[in-house]
Amino acid sequence: MSILDQLSSAPLYLITGAIILYVVAMSVFFLVRAWKAGVAIGMDKVKLRRAVTSSVTFSILPSVSILLGVIALSGNLGIPLPWLRLSVVGALHYETSVADIASRAIGLSGLNAAEMTAKAFTTIALLMTVGIIWGVVCVAIFGKKYHSKLQRTGDKKSGGANFGDMAMTAMFIGLITAYMGSYIGQLIQVKGGALVCTGEYLQLVAMGFSALAMGVFSYFAEKKKMAWLDNFSIAGSMLVGMAAAVICEMIF
Amino acid sequence: MEQNREAYMAKYNEKTHFYGRIGLWIGIILLLAAPFLFGVSLDAMPDLGAFGKGLAQIAIIYIPSCIVEFLIYMPMLGAGGSYLAFITGNLINMKIPCALNARDIVGTEAGTTENEIVSTLSIAASSLVTTLVIAVGVLLMIPLRPVLEAPALQPAYNNVVPALFGAMAFKYFRRGKKLVAIPLIVMTVLFICMPSLIGSVGFLMLISGAIAIAQAFYAFKVGQGPTSAVNAGVDGAKPSAEHKPDEGR
Repeated sequence: MSILDQLSSAPLYLITGAIILYVVAMSVFFLVRAWKAGVAIGMDKVKLRRAVTSSVTFSILPSVSILLGVIALSGNLGIPLPWLRLSVVGALHYETSVADIASRAIGLSGLNAAEMTAKAFTTIALLMTVGIIWGVVCVAIFGKKYHSKLQRTGDKKSGGANFGDMAMTAMFIGLITAYMGSYIGQLIQVKGGALVCTGEYLQLVAMGFSALAMGVFSYFAEKKKMAWLDNFSIAGSMLVGMAAAVICEMIF
Repeated sequence: MEQNREAYMAKYNEKTHFYGRIGLWIGIILLLAAPFLFGVSLDAMPDLGAFGKGLAQIAIIYIPSCIVEFLIYMPMLGAGGSYLAFITGNLINMKIPCALNARDIVGTEAGTTENEIVSTLSIAASSLVTTLVIAVGVLLMIPLRPVLEAPALQPAYNNVVPALFGAMAFKYFRRGKKLVAIPLIVMTVLFICMPSLIGSVGFLMLISGAIAIAQAFYAFKVGQGPTSAVNAGVDGAKPSAEHKPDEGR
């Protein structure tokens, strides 16, 4: 039995499946509670339904990309561990880099199946888990206190200006501009005192076309009274952006 | 009526914290147990010496990042949303934009009761979709693999995050037009001049975020209220005047 066969054996699937089922149960429990609470405080059921349907459509494409992350990691770590890591707590951008750091820390030349042993695998699994778990620990320990503090701050401002809401918008603008800057920086860089074009332009193409598509969706949703399009606008725009990247790669 | 509603939500929030904390602690125990259960099955326990060495490298980068995520995202997600989002993961590439998108479509504002409900519904639905897609994908992995891994499609998968941020940029840049230029210029110049920092974009977003928040705060304070902030191009999560969230439903 090869190492990859061992890492994808039935007991590992069972352990992974049990933990994922637990998280599914938790999600269903919170979903049902929130729905009931929404109805109880008089929220429009149509709004509640729109919150769910828009989130479902929104999540399909990013979920496929996460699935691809599972596939990518499965070549070196088998299927169960990447499946667990990317379904519970994990993050697509985090897992690959941490798996690589963990592999080097335990003496492998990098993350590769050729050098993988069962001991290396369990050590990598522990490192990947412990490395990312601190956000969950923070929420478990400090979440209640922090949330109560936030609510008190909000109450003081109720009926007046809501800076918290604006701060959220500003924070998200900060996030997007940081990534946009990084995509520009991947295309144009200062090397040896001169500006160099690296040719890595696909991120900007995907971003630009996606934004353009979003503009078209917004036009129809707002000006043509087709608000239902909002449910598909993000996923649809992402598809346009991703398709533009594929077409550009084919042509140029 | 309003008092009943407030009392109901106070009780709801209290129970959310109770269930959320228990849920997270059970989740943490299960997650930490998994590598050891794998070890029992494979007859190879983790090498704790190597683990300590690796953790020293990983912790420097990821512990501050996790704490910052907690401080930034909990106000966005509310209590129920946070408990779920942190245990299910994929915050920045899915859960946060997903919850903000739902909030935008439904037309709720951060910190309100409605937002607490919408955020929890959104993240729970998103988590279930991800789990389902991955589970189906894993089951179908062998027949799907040639399609999913077709070289021609790789540029699409490599650019999921830029495509996501492109769509979100249109929405958020419209809403806070005057907040965009300075952080974008600072970040662009920084990454062009110091390309080695591109890998640290997750940390550097704190700088651009701080700049944008400072600008929003200035607009808010100088104008002595939200009206001026709106005029300054900072209208928070409010739907635009011509876009009623429930139109066309």
